[in-house]
Amino acid sequence: MISSDPKQVKAICFDRIHIENQTSLNIARKNGAYAFLPTVLKDFDTEHIVDEVKKSGLRGRGGAGFPTGLKWSFVPRNTGKPTYLLCNADEGEPGTFKDRDIMRFDPHLLIEGMIMAGFALGVHDAYIYIRGEFLHEVEVVDAAIKEAYAANLLGENILGSDFSMNLTVHRGAGAYICGEETALIESLEGRPGRPRFKPPFPAIEGFYRCPTVVNNVETLATIPAILEFGGDWHAAIGVPNNTGMKIFSVSGHVNKPGNYEVPMGTSLKVLIEEYCGGLQHGTVPKVIIPGGSSTPWLLAEHYDTPLTYDAMMKAGSMLGSGAIIVMDETADVIALTRRLAHFYAHESCGQCSPCREGTGWLERVMTRVENGQGCEEDLTVLHDAATHMAGRTICALADGAAAPILSLLKHFPDEVRERLMEKAA
Amino acid sequence: MTTLFINEEEVTVSSGTSILEACRKQGVDVPYFCYHPELSVAANCRMCLVEVEGWGKPAASCCTPVGEGMRVTTQSKSLSKDREMIMEYLLIHHPLDCPVCDQGGACKLQDYTEEHGAEHGRYKEVKRAVVDHNLGPFVSTCMTRCIHCTRCVRFADEIAGTGDMGVLNRSDHMRIEGVVEDALASELSGNLADICPVGALLDKPSLDVSRPWEVKRHRSICTQCPQGCDIVIESRGDEVIRIKPDYAANEPWICDRGRYVHDAFRAKERILTPFIRDASGVQAVNWDMAVEKIVRLLKGKRVGIVFSPDWSIEGLTAIRLLHDCVFDDAKVAFDLHRRDMRPFAFEEGFGMTSKQIVDANEVVILGSDLRQRLPILMQGLRQRSLAGKPVIRIGAMNYRTNSELSADALIRPREWAAVIARAMQQLKDLGKSAAGMDAWLSSVSERHEAGKLLADALLSDSCALLVGEEIRSHVDAAALIHGLDLIARASGHGEEGRDARNLIPEGMNASLLSAVFGDVRTSVGDLFDAAHDGELDALLLIGSDPLGDGLFSMQAKRAMGKVPLVQIGAVSGQVSEYADVMLPASAYSEVEGTFINMSGEIHLADEPLSTVGDARPLWKVMMRLIQGFGMDIPAVDMNEIRASVQSYLPSLREVWGQGVDHNTWRMPVARQRDANVLPVGVNPAMPLDVISRYSMYREGAWVRASASLVEAGNIRALDDVLVHPNTLKEAGLTVGECVIRTASGNYTFDVGVRDDVVEGVLFISKRGVAGDLSCEVMASLGGGQ
Repeated sequence: MISSDPKQVKAICFDRIHIENQTSLNIARKNGAYAFLPTVLKDFDTEHIVDEVKKSGLRGRGGAGFPTGLKWSFVPRNTGKPTYLLCNADEGEPGTFKDRDIMRFDPHLLIEGMIMAGFALGVHDAYIYIRGEFLHEVEVVDAAIKEAYAANLLGENILGSDFSMNLTVHRGAGAYICGEETALIESLEGRPGRPRFKPPFPAIEGFYRCPTVVNNVETLATIPAILEFGGDWHAAIGVPNNTGMKIFSVSGHVNKPGNYEVPMGTSLKVLIEEYCGGLQHGTVPKVIIPGGSSTPWLLAEHYDTPLTYDAMMKAGSMLGSGAIIVMDETADVIALTRRLAHFYAHESCGQCSPCREGTGWLERVMTRVENGQGCEEDLTVLHDAATHMAGRTICALADGAAAPILSLLKHFPDEVRERLMEKAA
Repeated sequence: MTTLFINEEEVTVSSGTSILEACRKQGVDVPYFCYHPELSVAANCRMCLVEVEGWGKPAASCCTPVGEGMRVTTQSKSLSKDREMIMEYLLIHHPLDCPVCDQGGACKLQDYTEEHGAEHGRYKEVKRAVVDHNLGPFVSTCMTRCIHCTRCVRFADEIAGTGDMGVLNRSDHMRIEGVVEDALASELSGNLADICPVGALLDKPSLDVSRPWEVKRHRSICTQCPQGCDIVIESRGDEVIRIKPDYAANEPWICDRGRYVHDAFRAKERILTPFIRDASGVQAVNWDMAVEKIVRLLKGKRVGIVFSPDWSIEGLTAIRLLHDCVFDDAKVAFDLHRRDMRPFAFEEGFGMTSKQIVDANEVVILGSDLRQRLPILMQGLRQRSLAGKPVIRIGAMNYRTNSELSADALIRPREWAAVIARAMQQLKDLGKSAAGMDAWLSSVSERHEAGKLLADALLSDSCALLVGEEIRSHVDAAALIHGLDLIARASGHGEEGRDARNLIPEGMNASLLSAVFGDVRTSVGDLFDAAHDGELDALLLIGSDPLGDGLFSMQAKRAMGKVPLVQIGAVSGQVSEYADVMLPASAYSEVEGTFINMSGEIHLADEPLSTVGDARPLWKVMMRLIQGFGMDIPAVDMNEIRASVQSYLPSLREVWGQGVDHNTWRMPVARQRDANVLPVGVNPAMPLDVISRYSMYREGAWVRASASLVEAGNIRALDDVLVHPNTLKEAGLTVGECVIRTASGNYTFDVGVRDDVVEGVLFISKRGVAGDLSCEVMASLGGGQ
């Protein structure tokens, strides 16, 4: 059970995750799922809900960290068009695997969060866009939705209220870019997943050019607790402006990789040393990618950085989706960069020239460099090609593709030069 | 309105304008590839980056709306580096084949490389090569050159409406391709080559022929349909390389018919010198000998003159001068599709401009394959329909439109009177009437429900009736048009400035023709019959090809076989087999002249190409003939010819005198209030109506002389004879050879079926043998032989 004392909170999204068969509605309900929903539907008005979420300080858990309540408040009312709620469950960022656990172990938490969010936004049709590779999760969530419909938790007049909402699962087809919200919308509409330029923003013109809110799984799964215990309760967890709990997916050279839900503001070192059992080799990491592969790298000197959006920004990186990839001294950072370059070259949607041509170019040069066929000029080429894609394209994929290259050049130029020399000799 | 600063200059534009458009309006140069003023914004090339003060990163100006007080910079060191890098990204896979690329010299990529690119490329890896795609006879592909701006894809989706270009794959495997391995389905497909900013899509018929800097550009007027688009003809010496839209004009697109007819200008069908036919066959002669022979053939004879309406109005008036000076009792005919010569209450021509039609509340297409007849107007209607405004059609076939029709009623030609009567009845019941309406109404007993669509549309504040070939060629056309005139006037759509009446003419210059030839005009069919029946001694054919076009090929053939024929024209065609003398006249691209389009708008052609062979402008040919007959020449130069035109149409003085803005100046269409023709309630003798189908790839001697248009016509060919499956079933027949019984005899044809045509109608294409059925209005089907 989640404690009503913010100091005592151990978990929010993962609170019931270890309970066996929590995916079944009966068991979930026994453990408190949907218990607070009737109160919300009966006693809460929509503005109150948006206010509570604003008050909670909850920031989008998908990567950008945009305040959720603010996002909701952008949705225009009474446009004559339907408003859509889309759950972004296209968890494709390399290193991230948190939403998956919510979906496969506690799908009713997500569904409950979506009902509440849908109620707050006046949504009649909501969708969960699940990553194509998550076959098992699709099955689990689908089964949970079916049970929820049977129990009148979804569909017409939910629990006897005036509120009706349909929830549909859509399986992605394996494109990383569909995790970008406008590409997700395009894909859901049945078109190739290519991001749209903004403005207009989805809140004004999203799914089928109607007002649309796209929220991450973890974000939506946090909503029930915020409404039950209040925005202030949530705001008291973590540190100011970076409130609440956050799930971190830790991978790489740590002894106990996995998902850990900790209060925001916990330091990187504490997470890795105390929760993840420390590094496999040595005492300080060589590279930490703090927010998924698209975020700039941190070094040992940043080991004490608190896990907050602001502190990470200050350290020159981003908290992103909370996917922490840890590399100890045994890591070949050049091979790592080449592999990431391959990923982005493969996943670029192809519409913007810099990203379409730049990502492939970076990969090819990195491959040469890795194989010792590089030359000094390649360092300038890598730098130019990466710098001038980032921030020049419709979406942020190019920024993500540039980040590892620029981090490598910034932090390990000597290692790269050494590789050039090594093979030249 | 929003005020912003572009490079420190204050600019005010309407809110919602993009920064790029604001820059263009201000004359500030911002480079771009994917932006196109007629297409939706894609924002994918990223070439149009600009800096906005206070923004952390450069903004793509094409998709960023202006904001109040925004400070935009279009030139800076950092932007220069960005543009240099964008060029480098785009060029890493682009082949270095500019010397063999038709686009070279007129290529955005090349220009920007010069302007913004680095001195050399740094890409050392493997280059991409892309498989080409066959897009049919008009557009060639070299997809390795593609920079993926998606202009072609957006054109196919938004303008053509065919969606036959698409994007496949992602990352640098992304390819632009024809979606199906088939010729492009659009009648505007040639514009793809124009909008492609690089050499990926090029004009196939003129591929690898010329370089942009070698060609001379001549502003001219297309006479391939009554729209009369402004065009630019590119020539090199004697060759005509290609035809493009005139970008200085209002209309950004031209159709494939008007564009790819260019190879006909130098085709073997061109008449280059005078020819005469004697005992030893056809031989080239000089002008004097040819004129002498004509004088011998025609002097003192009863002559019939058939001409094409597409000559310049100076040439057309010269035909009248020839008539008046030499054959003043001769009958003349020019409309190969008009059976009914009684005066029309509204003559051929439009009461509205294209823009007024597109903007009207209601548009009703009455019996026309508008997409083939007037592709550019249809494009306007398509955009209108996409914007959610209604387009209604009543006619015999679901002619393809590539856009949604709000209503589409299939009716047979014999039902037109009932349709109009139904509409008239509705207006009358609402107390709206016009003098003569009761008489018209009481002469028609049937009512057809499709008339409700017509009446409802007319009840709107603004309405456009587009009256097409199914009515114009009707045996009772004058009565039908009188009926339409009555309902238009009754509903308040029959006055100047609020005129819904638009009769689609056969060709250009309709409003001149009724003024100049109204009193001497006869039907083409009657004229040929008169020749066959011995009432005429000789025929003079000026640019017209009644064997290939129109409804009277059978009569024409009979007449030409009987009396001597003099042919004057630019292209020969089948008619030449009968000609005793041929004189070459310059093509429309080779004359200085004035043209009037369907809406009465004036277009002046004043940059003629040099003419080929011994051809002379038509008006000079006419004068030479008048001289040959020993008469005084009424006009010796262009001014005198134009003075003659002005004697018929005084208002043209403004056009030639002051140089006229053809956006505002219009020649009014002839109206005849006294045309009072009632429908004749004949009992149809045969069960099936015959409709002669129009094809933009077949109709017209010019088109038949163009190899690429002929190829396109073959690709798009439907069966020679088409009926609804039920029509065939009722006759107890199956697809294949059938006997078609008509008033003139029985014929055997292969008959095909289509679901989207009205039952009880035989559609025939004017191709080969089926063309001979064009003159029929009714038929019945019999068993195979």
